[in-house]
Amino acid sequence: MREWIAVFRRGLAVDNPLTVLMIGLCATLAVSTKFEGALFMGMAVMFVLTMSSTIIAALRDFIPEKVRIPVFIVVIASFVTIVDLTMHAFIPTVYTFLGVWIPLIVVNCIILGRAEGFAYHNRVHLAVADGLGMGLGFAFVIVLLATIREFVGSGEIVFLGSTLVRLGDWYRGPGIALLFPGAFIIFGFMVAGAKWLNGRLESRRIQAEACATREASA
Amino acid sequence: METLQYFGLILVGAALVNNILLTRFIGLCPFFGVSGSMDTAIGMAGAVLFVMTLASTATWVFWNVLLVPLGVGEFLYIPAFILVIAALVQFVEMYMRKASPGLYRALGIYLPLITTNCAVLATATEAVKPGFFKMNLPYQFGFLEAVIYTIGVALGFGFALITFAALRERLEVAPAPEVMRGLPMAFITAGLLSLGYVGLSGLFGI
Repeated sequence: MREWIAVFRRGLAVDNPLTVLMIGLCATLAVSTKFEGALFMGMAVMFVLTMSSTIIAALRDFIPEKVRIPVFIVVIASFVTIVDLTMHAFIPTVYTFLGVWIPLIVVNCIILGRAEGFAYHNRVHLAVADGLGMGLGFAFVIVLLATIREFVGSGEIVFLGSTLVRLGDWYRGPGIALLFPGAFIIFGFMVAGAKWLNGRLESRRIQAEACATREASA
Repeated sequence: METLQYFGLILVGAALVNNILLTRFIGLCPFFGVSGSMDTAIGMAGAVLFVMTLASTATWVFWNVLLVPLGVGEFLYIPAFILVIAALVQFVEMYMRKASPGLYRALGIYLPLITTNCAVLATATEAVKPGFFKMNLPYQFGFLEAVIYTIGVALGFGFALITFAALRERLEVAPAPEVMRGLPMAFITAGLLSLGYVGLSGLFGI
């Protein structure tokens, strides 16, 4: 159980796919103009990642090494098709907003990267933890970025037609936050923040270890 | 003349106004991954131009000859296209290794990477599948239009990648705070570069 939690937590901070590993950026920057779009995108990626990791980990003894990449892609593509058709049927407005990004989950580096790097070599329950953790880490960053961009850019946050937060009419947001350059710039500062945070965690860990060894020797 | 102008508009619209990297965020992984030096950027741009054109041609034929007549396009296009592209890249790699070792050495390492590059799948889907194409042009592309559009997209990709690589080479030596070094700074530079491309939108009414 401790191992499970350790694997799950890694995706959230230390190995966060977006701010640390820098994979799966395209979708993040493109759909983060709206809070609701980002939320559903995060959920879609989490679903596909967890399900494909589970299937690949369960079948890892039957998948020949040489054709593993095509097999991974077929598994991933099936789950993406499920998401694609489900969203098209039940939340058409969000589906239209996300557009080409739903089919593009197939080639999202996060999913193939975790299939190749983790799920193919680990047992099923660990692969589930990894999928959930990585998916949650992805969803957290994308939703945070979208919240900042939508709030700063338009002064309100809308979720499925109802306004959640709204500044008054006096607010004239900088429109650049909603445009493409804003995504790059805000994300750049988020990456710098994550780097700073990880650096602090690292130095605190080193200090704690130094203290422990000093106490042990004393 | 009329047709020439039309194709020119498609080309410029795809390459500059709707630049795939900087105004639409497709294919950003190689944009940050291989833009460390000019040589790799140029190699990658060449490989993308080559593979993208082939892939769109193949998927166009596949869609119009096989998927549409069978009536399975709507739910089978994702697995079908990605498999066509993956198989195509494998064949091209094998053929190139035998036929032109020089070109293989130049592009070789980038070819497998391109299979999972979203830019290739996105362009192939856009050029083929009606409704995915976001510019104000006819939704259903003919064969020649699809190829021209793809070449335009690939040229825009290469142009943006090479510009960005040149900028990053200079930024390596810039004095900057420790936390901003490397990728954070690269993102902000990309934002400023993208600002220039946003200025182009609406220029040709595309």
